Amino acid sequence: MDLALTESQEMLRSSARSFVEREAPTHTIVALQREPSSLVPALWRKAADVGWPGILVPAEYGGSESTLTDAGVLFEELGRGPVPGPFFSSGVLGALAVFEAASAPQRSAILPAVAHGEIILGVAITDPNTSWGPQAVTLRPQRVGDRYRLDGTKLFVSDATAATHLIVAVRTGDGPADVSLLLVDARARGVRTRRLRGFLSWQDEVTFEGVDVDATNLLGGREGQGWAALERALLRALPVLCSFMVGGCQAVFDLSVKHSQQRVQFGVPIGKFQRVQDHIIRLVNHLDGARWTTAEALWKLDSGRPAADAVHLAKAMASEGYLEACNAAHEVHAGQGSLTEYGLAAHTQMSRTLFAYLGDPRWHKRRMANALGW
Amino acid sequence: MDFEVTYTEEQQRFRREVRAWLDANVTPGLTRIPISDEDSLLRYRELRAFGRKLGGRGWLYPRAPQAYGGGELDVDHTIILEEEVDRVGLALPPYYDSGGKLGSATILVWGTEAQKQVFLPPIYRGEVRTWQLLTEPGAGSDLAGVTTAAIRDGDEYVINGQKIFVGSDHGADRIWMIACTNPGGARHENLSWFMIDADLPGITVQPMELMGTGGEGGTDPVQKNTVFFDEVRVPAFALVGGENQGWKAASTHLELEHGAGGRIGRNRVWDRLLRYCQETKRDGVPLSQNADTRDLLADIYIRTEVQRLFGLRNFWLTYAKRPRSYEGPQLSYYRKMAGLWMTGAILEAVGPAALTSDPTWGSPDGFLELQQRNGIIAVHPGGTADVQRVSMARRIGIGRAARESAGTVH
Repeated sequence: MDLALTESQEMLRSSARSFVEREAPTHTIVALQREPSSLVPALWRKAADVGWPGILVPAEYGGSESTLTDAGVLFEELGRGPVPGPFFSSGVLGALAVFEAASAPQRSAILPAVAHGEIILGVAITDPNTSWGPQAVTLRPQRVGDRYRLDGTKLFVSDATAATHLIVAVRTGDGPADVSLLLVDARARGVRTRRLRGFLSWQDEVTFEGVDVDATNLLGGREGQGWAALERALLRALPVLCSFMVGGCQAVFDLSVKHSQQRVQFGVPIGKFQRVQDHIIRLVNHLDGARWTTAEALWKLDSGRPAADAVHLAKAMASEGYLEACNAAHEVHAGQGSLTEYGLAAHTQMSRTLFAYLGDPRWHKRRMANALGW
Repeated sequence: MDFEVTYTEEQQRFRREVRAWLDANVTPGLTRIPISDEDSLLRYRELRAFGRKLGGRGWLYPRAPQAYGGGELDVDHTIILEEEVDRVGLALPPYYDSGGKLGSATILVWGTEAQKQVFLPPIYRGEVRTWQLLTEPGAGSDLAGVTTAAIRDGDEYVINGQKIFVGSDHGADRIWMIACTNPGGARHENLSWFMIDADLPGITVQPMELMGTGGEGGTDPVQKNTVFFDEVRVPAFALVGGENQGWKAASTHLELEHGAGGRIGRNRVWDRLLRYCQETKRDGVPLSQNADTRDLLADIYIRTEVQRLFGLRNFWLTYAKRPRSYEGPQLSYYRKMAGLWMTGAILEAVGPAALTSDPTWGSPDGFLELQQRNGIIAVHPGGTADVQRVSMARRIGIGRAARESAGTVH
């Protein structure tokens, strides 16, 4: 038993932390909130130079083939920002989906470009008015010769406005999991991506109007294999997303501790008041609950142990934890926390977004119970 | 990271040795629920005899130094031993010995060499069992406000006062206590610790019946005591850590009591709850297949998992000698609040069967009924949940000018 990070993980952490502090300080992240795309080209370029989009891509495809725990270290630092951008959508979920679903030639064609940040993937799973299971996929393409023709809408797609290519889950049969994955050029004629307005972070609408996709872009070359591949990719991707949320919890904890030490009311720092302390205790318990369930899920995956129950547990804890951590932070900060320029609001909005994204806590708790075989 | 202890060939052999020894020495009756007062006493004596057997091998206090009668096993061997003892439904020590655990740990850090030689071996060998006496009628969360007085008189101290909500059933051999050695002195500078014999003239133990004890491991689930001290004379040698230095030594005692040592091992109540829900039918289907019950079970399970991970983390932090801050009281706070919340969740999941210990209509051995009581009561002993929060806040660095550091643990 050893719950410490390795030396190389510590190095990754400190270089990621200084990168984020330098390239994505709070004012940059706050300004970005208004932009239609989460992508900052200069920042993405620098991140690609140090290999972050390829952190999970196998070495034979030009990536660094790191462990999930390594990726978790990186994503915790990104989550502290919270640094948006398609790091997760492209480098984790997108790359793993391609790895799991694609044929060898397709992998060779796609993954090196993903690892170098030249292809940016978005993963379009859910249709309007659906949830996160395979039944969520109702978009049914028309087969026309050696092409698929897409007409319809995908909703709550992360980072679609930043993507060069979309992995689109489509229904190709009547069985519940008869789902296939198509790789679609995001700039093809008839594809439109639009960031949804409101209290959510780059969850986009994607519409397809008579979009023709060459059948060679069916990942894996056979229909009906997509959902199983996506599930395998999600199993590994989810705890990395959890690490991002742990980083978010850590950031709002640090902000709250500092604020309670510096803000003076009634002649004393407000941290003197047990009511204020209670918010911070609640916050740190959510932070550590998310942190250690996530770490154990990553370890189980890295060491080849059965991990489905731990992954679902971690997603439930991290989603709930990030949301509650932000709630507690707002109670500590009062008015100060509501100023967008302060930076807490970016976390709050992100916490709501990720609470629902890829399944909310209740959804994952039920899958955890099933995985445990109760 | 590695969340699992990996065992060498030699360690696997040790596990087999432990298991074989336990198979030969743990009779089924050791884990029984007593059926009468006489049976309770009988079982207690059996547990003490078993404790002495463990102590003879250094397995009662496996991490304690050999020089004083402990096993001086390393972390991995200790884990193996605790896992195997846990597997047969017991713990180390197998009876309530809180003064032995916390007192010996404090003496190891703050005692003189002569005190270590005199006080520690009987504890580690299982020859004595020791209650801890901290709480008084006027000093609960405010431990520094104890007024039980221990006044120096020649080579002795004379103790007068009253302790409350202490011990368990079947008495003690030794008492580990904090007292005020300078009634007029400044707060935090007037306290001292004593390790004394429990049968001295002037000590009176009066049982109290409670609705539960918080599951501290006494053989009777509802007994605590008031202990009166009336002109009790103890040798000056019994004073540990220096006169009026007790607040410093308290940091070790409280650090361990507040969860710093961590814990490994399964959550028995959870294991039994799941089995009960799988085996018990309601409206024709197992409880575990009812959608609402499953949701409750998932929420209960998640809390047991977080508690397990906090315990594992603290265990690792302590024994890998890593810097600690708020983690001890965090585990304690989380455990207490999860247990309290669970009383409601279990009652909702299982229904009124959770409230009865009836052998036909209740849960096996009434384990759920016990949880209904203990989940409420466990919020208070060893520092209330609120005290744990205060302690966490200080260590996080809020509320005080200087950040408080964690207590020293051997």
